[in-house]
This record gives sequence, C-alpha cells and structure tokens, in this order.
Amino acid sequence: MAGLATTFGSGAMTNSINEIENAQVMLVIGSNTSEAHPQVARRIFAAMDRGARLIVVDPRRTLMAKRADIHLALRPGTDIPLLNAMMRIILDDNLADDLFIEMRTENFYGLRDMLFRIDLDETARITGVELAGIRAAARLYGRAQKAVICYCLGITQHVCGTGNVQAIANLAMLTGNVEKEDTGVDPLRGQNNVQGACDMGALPNVFPSYQQVDIDDFREKFERAWHVPLPSQPGLTLMEMTHGGKDGPLKAMFIMGENPMLSDPVIARVRETLDNLEFLLVADIFLTETAARAHVVLPAASFAEKTGTFTNSERRVQMVRRVIPPLGQSRTDADIIMELSGRLGYAMDYESPAEIMEEIAMLAPIYGGMQHDRLENSWGLQWPCWDRSHPGTPFLHKYYFTRGKGRFVPAEYKPPDELPDDDYPFLLITGRIYHQYHTGTMTRRSAQLCREAGEALLQLHPEDGRRLGVRSGDLVRMRSRRGEVQVKAQLTDAVQAGEVYTTFHFSEMPINLLTSSARDHFSQCPEYKICAVHLAKV
Amino acid sequence: MTMPNSPKDLYRPRRAEIREVIVENSQIKTFVLAFVDRAHNGSFTYQPGQFMMVSVPHCGEAPISISSTPADSGTIHLSVRRAGILTAALHDMKQGDMVGLRGPYGRPFPMTALAGSDLLFVAGGIGLAPLRSVINTCLAAGHDRRITILYGSRTPSDIAFQGDLASWGQTAGVNCLLTVDRSEPGWEGEVGLVTGLFAQCALEPDESKALVCGPPMMIRAVLAQLADRGFADGNIITTMERHMKCGVGICRHCHMDDKLVCKDGPVFTLEELKRLKVMELRG
Amino acid sequence: MKDKYILKKDHLLPLLRKLKKKHRLIAPLQNLHGDTLFTEIDQLDNVRLDLANQPQNSLKRFFFPQQEVLFTYRNPTSDSYRFETAAEERPPSLYFGVRPCDLSAVLYMDVVFSKNARDPHYLHRRQNTILVGLNCNAPFANCFCNATRNGPFIDFGFDLQLTDLGDRFLVEFDRSQGQEIIREWQQFFAAADETDVKAQYQAFLEARGRFSQQVHLDLAARRLADDQVPESVWQDLSMRCQDCGGCAYICPTCTCFTIRDRQTGDHEGERIRSWDACTFSGFTRMAGDHNPVDRQMRGIEKRFRHKLQFDMEKDNRPSCVGCGRCVNICFGGTDIVLFIKMTCGENP
Repeated sequence: MAGLATTFGSGAMTNSINEIENAQVMLVIGSNTSEAHPQVARRIFAAMDRGARLIVVDPRRTLMAKRADIHLALRPGTDIPLLNAMMRIILDDNLADDLFIEMRTENFYGLRDMLFRIDLDETARITGVELAGIRAAARLYGRAQKAVICYCLGITQHVCGTGNVQAIANLAMLTGNVEKEDTGVDPLRGQNNVQGACDMGALPNVFPSYQQVDIDDFREKFERAWHVPLPSQPGLTLMEMTHGGKDGPLKAMFIMGENPMLSDPVIARVRETLDNLEFLLVADIFLTETAARAHVVLPAASFAEKTGTFTNSERRVQMVRRVIPPLGQSRTDADIIMELSGRLGYAMDYESPAEIMEEIAMLAPIYGGMQHDRLENSWGLQWPCWDRSHPGTPFLHKYYFTRGKGRFVPAEYKPPDELPDDDYPFLLITGRIYHQYHTGTMTRRSAQLCREAGEALLQLHPEDGRRLGVRSGDLVRMRSRRGEVQVKAQLTDAVQAGEVYTTFHFSEMPINLLTSSARDHFSQCPEYKICAVHLAKV
Repeated sequence: MTMPNSPKDLYRPRRAEIREVIVENSQIKTFVLAFVDRAHNGSFTYQPGQFMMVSVPHCGEAPISISSTPADSGTIHLSVRRAGILTAALHDMKQGDMVGLRGPYGRPFPMTALAGSDLLFVAGGIGLAPLRSVINTCLAAGHDRRITILYGSRTPSDIAFQGDLASWGQTAGVNCLLTVDRSEPGWEGEVGLVTGLFAQCALEPDESKALVCGPPMMIRAVLAQLADRGFADGNIITTMERHMKCGVGICRHCHMDDKLVCKDGPVFTLEELKRLKVMELRG
Repeated sequence: MKDKYILKKDHLLPLLRKLKKKHRLIAPLQNLHGDTLFTEIDQLDNVRLDLANQPQNSLKRFFFPQQEVLFTYRNPTSDSYRFETAAEERPPSLYFGVRPCDLSAVLYMDVVFSKNARDPHYLHRRQNTILVGLNCNAPFANCFCNATRNGPFIDFGFDLQLTDLGDRFLVEFDRSQGQEIIREWQQFFAAADETDVKAQYQAFLEARGRFSQQVHLDLAARRLADDQVPESVWQDLSMRCQDCGGCAYICPTCTCFTIRDRQTGDHEGERIRSWDACTFSGFTRMAGDHNPVDRQMRGIEKRFRHKLQFDMEKDNRPSCVGCGRCVNICFGGTDIVLFIKMTCGENP
C-alpha cells in the first residue's frame, strides 16, 4: 500500500487481470502465482502461448520459475539491489523512456544519482544472482513495448517491503511501463475482499476511499454524514494491537473474520495480549483458534448467506448474493455491527445492503457511481468510478498519475532483520499452498482438500537433508529465537541449500510461533518471509 | 432395470471379530478374524491372492490381502503393515474388537496353472502375506514339484511369519532362504538383497513359475534377475498395490492404464504388466 | 408414418401436467439469475421451462449424487460395530428435455454402474425412470457431439424423443415406456406424415452444419492409441491444470468417486460416497505418500486416456459425449478440446 501510494498515488493493481494476457514481457517477483493466484497464472501462461516472455524472481524454483524464460533465484530479501541493478543496466543501455520520465514523473535525478552509485558486481554478490542473468532480465523488460510486473507478499512481507514496492514502481516508470493498457504494476491481493476492506478504510489512517482522518475536510465530511465527532488521529496498526498495544495495554478487542492466533507473527505474544484483555469479542463463521480465547463469540454468516459486494485484486466491485438464509443463530457481519452499534447507543438502521452501498457511493469518491442496480447482472465495475455515468476504470494512471506526477522514490538496500548465523543456520521462508486457504478455518473442514494437502511440509534441500540425516517424511524439530515446532521434511531442490520453506495454514504446526515481529517501518507489515532457524532430526 | 436382491449390500461390510492378534514384527500384525454371522463364516471362502476391504470405525476402508488359506476354515488372516491412519488404528485394536469386512475381491493367483510347475517365491517384508496363502495352499494340496522361498527383511527382528518360515524350512522339497538388509547381533544368516539368494538356488526357468511380492524397489531388482535367468514374462507373477475405494471395479482409484487392480488384479503376470505403463517397472 | 407422432407445442405443458401426476418431473428450468439447470419441478405454473439453452448440469447428480450416505454405523464399544442402511423411496421419475449428449451419458453410466458390479445406489435411482429426449437443432458454442458421434440427433436410448419442428414436435419412441405414454395420452399425439419426417431430416442436416468448431477426435484417439502424443502436451497441460476438479464434476460421464467415513458423534458416523476426480493427486496417493502418478507432469493424462483411448478400445466409442461443458468451466485452459487440438498439432 504505502509503496505505490508514495510513487503512483494509488495502491492497487494498475491493470485488469485479463490485460496480462496481452503483455509481451511479464516480471513476476515475490509471487508464487500458480499456487496463490491461479487465475492470474492462467493469463500469464496464455500470454506465453502468444509468445510473451516470463521473468521470475524468486528464491525458490516454483512452478512459475520452472516455466520462466529467465529465473533469478535471488537471496531472500535482496529484491531492492536486484531491481536497482536492473534499472542501472536499463540506464546504461539507453532503454529508459525519456519522454515518459520528462512528461509524467518527478525526482528522476534523485533516482539516477542513486543508480549511478551502484557497483553491479557488488549487487551480484549481495543477491547471489549472476550479473548476466540480471542483465538479460533488464534488457528483456526494458525493451518490451508492453510489460507488466506482478508482485505479491514476497515483496511486501519484508522489513523493506515499502522500499521493495517503490523499487518496482521506479522500474516501471523508468521504462514507461505504466499508464497503458496491458502494461503496469500489479500487486496481487491475497484474499477475495482485501482490496474492498482497504477501500472501506479498514486501515488505521483513512476513511473509505483513502481519505485521511487527519485532513479536516475529509473528517468533517464523514462527521456530517454520521452525526458524530470522529477521531483525527490515526488508530493502531494490526500488529500494534495484537502485540500488546502501543501506549499501554488495550482493554478490549473486537475481532471479525481474522485469526491472529495463527496468522500473526510471534503467536506467544499474541496469546499473551489476547489473554490480558478485559474483554475479547470474536465474530467468525467457525470457532477459530482466536475465537476459542474470546469471552463472547458471535457466529457470523458465510458468503453464501449474505448479500453485498466483494472488491477483488483488479479493483472490481462485484455483487455477492444470498443463496441460503444464515444457518442456526448466525448473523451477517453487517447485522452484527448494526445490532452492536444500536445497543451501544448509536442507531444504524440500514434497511438493506443496497442502502449501505448508496452511502458508500456518496462518501467514497472512487465508488461514486457504484450502486447495487448498476452492479447486478454484470461482472461489476472497476474503481475509480466517479459517478453513475462512469463506465469504471480497467487500468489506472492514464494521462496522469493519481497523485499527479509519478514520483521516483529511490530505495536503498536494507538487509533482513534476522539472517542465519551459527546458532540458527537456516533461513526460513513462509508462504502458502494451493489447497489450503489462510489459517484453514474453512479449507481444513473439507475432506477433499485435506486429502490433497493435509499437513505442513518443510521443503529442505537434499544436500542439507543429507547433512542433517533427514529423509523425506522424517520429523524435524525447527527452532527460532522465539519458538519451536515439529514438521515433516520434504527433500526438494526447489529450495536452495541453506533455505527452508513451509506454510502457515496448519494449527498443529503454527509456524508463526517462529517468525519475527520485525516489520516495515511505513506499512507495519511483518517480515513473515524471513527468519533464522535451527533444524534437528527428531 | 432390475433390482439386485439385497440392494444395499455391495458397499456394506459384515461385522467380524478379532479372534487373535499375532505380532509379526514392530510394523506388521496379523489379525485372525471371524465373521459374527456364523452361517456366513461357515460358507465364506476365497482363493489365494484375493483381498478383503477392511472397515475400521471412523477410518473408512482399506484393501488388505488375505494371508491365510481357504482350507483354514473358520478364520481369515489379514496381515497388516502400519502405514496410514486406518492401519495405525487397526494396530491399536485387540482381541474381541470388531471390524467390518467385505470381499473377497480381486483376481487370485492361477492355482491350477501353478500345480504342475516348480515354484519360486520371492518376497520382501509384508509381501510375503499373499504368498503365504499360496505356499500353504500348495503344501496342503500336496504340491509335488520343487518349491523355493526367498524372503528378505530389513533386519533380523523385522522377519515376519517366523512360524511359517520355520515350518517351511523343515518341509521336504521346500528350500526356504532368508536374508536381511542390515544385520543385528546374533544373526548368522545372509546379509544383502534378496536377489543375492538366487546364487544358492537351482532353478529351471522353463519348468518354473516365479511369484514375486514386495516393495517396488525389490520387485524391479528381482524382475531383472529373473529375466537374466531366462524366466519368460508369462511365468513371472506379481501383485500390484494401489489406492482403492470400492474394491469392485467402479470407483477407478486403482487404475493402471485401462486395467483396474481391484478387478483385473491384484495378481498380474509380467507379460500383462509390460503392456501397461506401470510405475513399479519404470527405472 | 409408423411410430412417429406430432405433438403441438401448445400441448406440451398440458401433457407434462398429465405426466407429472404419476412421476417426479425433472426438466431444464431457468432460475432467477438466468441460469438454466435440470431441476425437479414442484409447480408447473410458476417455472420457466427452457428448451433453448443447454442446461448447465447434466443428469449425473440425479442418479449419482455429488455426495450420498451409503450407510450409517455405530460403535458404542470396541466390540460392537453396526451398519445400518436407510431405505430411500424413489417414486417413478420423468426426465424431460434431455439432449443427446446427456442421454448418451446416462447410457454410459448405466454400463459403468452395472458392468463390473451392480451398484445398488445408482440402480435404485435409475430404475423407474423415463427419459424424454430432445434432439439438438442448434449446437452450442462449445459443442462437439458430432465428433463424439452421439449427436446432434440420436435415435436410440430414450423412451420418447422430441424434435423441434417450429410449431410442433416430432415424437418418436425407442422403449416400451415411451410407447405406453403415447398410448395412454393419445389425445395429445397425432400421426406424423411424410412432410414432418422430411422436416426432421432437414433439421438434422442443418444442425450438423451448425457446429462452430471442428474437433478431430478420431485423429487424437488414433495418436493416443499409437502413443504418439508428444510428452510436452501432457506436461504443458498438466502443469496448467489448476486442480479444481471442475471438469470431472461437471462432466456427465466422469463417474469416479471416493468413499470415506464422516464421524457424526463419539460413537457413530456415516460412510459417505462423493464425486472424485482422477486429476487430484490424492486420487492415487497411497499410505506412506507413494504416488504412482506424478500429478504435476501427468495429472490430466488419465482423464483423457480413459475417455479417448481406453473406452475407445473397449467399446469403439469415446466416453466423452461432446457436451462442451468442461470447456466452459476449466479455469486453467486445459480442457479436452484443447488437448485434442494440441494432440493433432493444431494451434489452439
């Protein structure tokens, strides 16, 4: 979010997913696309059928990497030096889009000065990638007429996550690969409605449509609409809440559809925080690990039991319709919020989701023309959609960036917070697998999905396996400075020697006992992707 | 469309009681079972090489080959290696506990064709279970040709079916040889792969049929050895193992190309297998 | 004309109303969201019968439900383990508006569920059913039943078969139950004349010419039989397959299933049978994680070989009925038509 906001002015996919099919070069970085975003992967493969070339930057040899024309297997956390080196090569080879830089961007000289200080051999050393590969990738990307960059949590879940994104944005602007159809920068969202939640201001510092709480005009607009004074200070970030509060402990918490007892780093600390609350209220569709610790649990309705909208990765707002009435005593999230609010003394009496959407359209300019009647019987509308006559926006930043001019924000290498050492000699990367979703609250209840992938596996290089005396299927005790788990090993050369990989879906093996609480200074996103661990055969 | 007589019987197991549990080694137990329905128990019969679908509460079903002989009427022996959830649960069961059984299923060993030949049995680990059924059937029928039994185990303490092995060792006309991958103190027998035992046997390939059962690695090595010795593919018989659900040729989990292991197998000749793309035969 | 009748379109609903008195009636209905699905009809007056669009589902789930309880079990103590089967009442059922692809699929399922063993659950649902077919005058965008040779018109396997002739249906029967209906409700049926039969033949010729794609299934089947499918085709498609199982679930002839126990209490549970797909790695994975199929490289091989090679060798016809539903549903772009095209060396 923060990275694209500072450079482009808008933190979302600049393209539509379908546009990827028409790209000539695709740079996939920090994304295991075929496992996590199969629908995007499908477009990438379709583009390749038409002759497009694929560059994959990933420490692991994922399926995407296997299919790539160029795979740069960098050391985890060295994306910035790699991207900067690509930019330097693009400058040296005269592949920069001077006209685009001149007309549409600012602070190019800031970037250029930084790039000219780079020693490319040093980059090769830091990233562990041969210069020839970086050069080939830079030229391929730099020469393309239409190039897209897809990135995901492998970019953002680092202490330098914001810098990573800025480096990506710089690369795209340097070559003029934004503003056009089939060309752009595409952060892939992890869940069906993460984009929608952000759009609606489920962030500490903004109201819906990214209107900052500390700007009086915005705040007054919402105060007029809601007839209550609103705070002018940003609230707490997720980690500030689940890791003990910011200025003193929190007293109460209301958690909806989130399972920090499995998904947040340093679970021991999360547990302590939740257990010290005077009151914990959780609303979820199943009794999650988090809900199990609550004083009161409110059963929530699932997607099939409610009407409303979801906003996906490509900013597309689509209707979801109730198929069955809420089961048992469950209620929809909107119902729960309205009922609670009413009992707390602020009546919220919306008669239907459509009425709520009307209010959103009034107060959130990017949703200005999105009422239910326009969304029904269609595949939805992509924001920004300023008014009822607006057709929606398939790709962003045409003619001008959201913030006016695109801004080059030079990003400098910041090493990961915790790297392997003698005591903790392995680097642990965490991620996801195709058959399980997030903390498994839903998918682990499907026998079929659990048959396909029913337990966590630790990917370990065969060389490391030999040294540790570990074979595929053996249990391994994995320990970090914060905790310990036991996990079944799977020997594979998909990971590099010295690096191991596993997933966080399984509560029997809560990997976030081990991950660190180090986080990006700007986005507060934790560094899930890297921590140092020690391994021993059980 | 006519209705079968008892419409719901195909997938519904019959109740069977565990009469005895024989611990073969740390991984293998033999369960001696009898149907609760006495009439059924009395009339129940099968042929060597066939398998039963075994139900364990909350664990579903798994195919287990029968290791006893039809002549031991009254009980069925199922030898089970602890491998997954169901077999682990079964291993925790004791005498008097109840399981579900349906079967017998599958194409058995060609017993009549075996009668007039020298027989070479090569087994590794749990692979001896279905062959035990054949060997004891042949012996009971007074098989008058030579019988050679080669059995490989991981370690001496992993040797299963010790009672049978001892008795075969003392039977005239039977040459029973054992080997282990890894020796232990007190073991004075052979160490090495089961293929190493071939040197000690007099074999007449044209007069013999070879029955091979065991882990895929072993099967591959033995098949190569048998080919070297001049065994024709049609005289080499083995059993295949696949994930199974229905056991009766409908659900198709156990497919091997156009064959189904539950119906066309589990017993196959090498000649038949060579027409298929079979994992066990690939390098 | 002998054994050929005319049913006026205006008389269709009145006829269905009569038939519904003795039968559960299942027909293609359009729902509120515009989707056409085979649906059991409660009330004929309040529904939109849709004979213009291809139903999104086939008849598979009516005979072979996505999930069913085979029996329940109880084990209050370890020395007690009982199995109980609940009998399901199955009134006579009439399936109306069944196109040749779906009709052929039912005939195929009849074989699957009775050849190697007689599956009581399938046969119980299948007995006492009447199939009223509808020949396809206008194949849909993804259809290729001309290549699988079971459409667009079919002349066997139905009880009654309708051909749309504009203002009227030409009606034929193949089984005694169909003949029975014509006899019992003769006021609805008039004898067809030569013009009607010519019109039917004309409709058939036109339908045959309306397929929007040429699918060279025979060539692909030959290449499969001769083992001439390039390795890259298997790998490329398998790697793209997104493992959703959608093709197998939507397919009217995919009948693979799995069986598992679902615990419903401390000492009781149900044995469940549900649809499965051979494209899943868990389909063949054995205890101890051995898998005879490498899903990433060969995951889709079994499905295509089964339909286009193994069943072809056995029955001289593929067990794909060319309905094209999997083409629409495939997320990965690895459907059977693409496979056939790639196998034949065509640019997809």
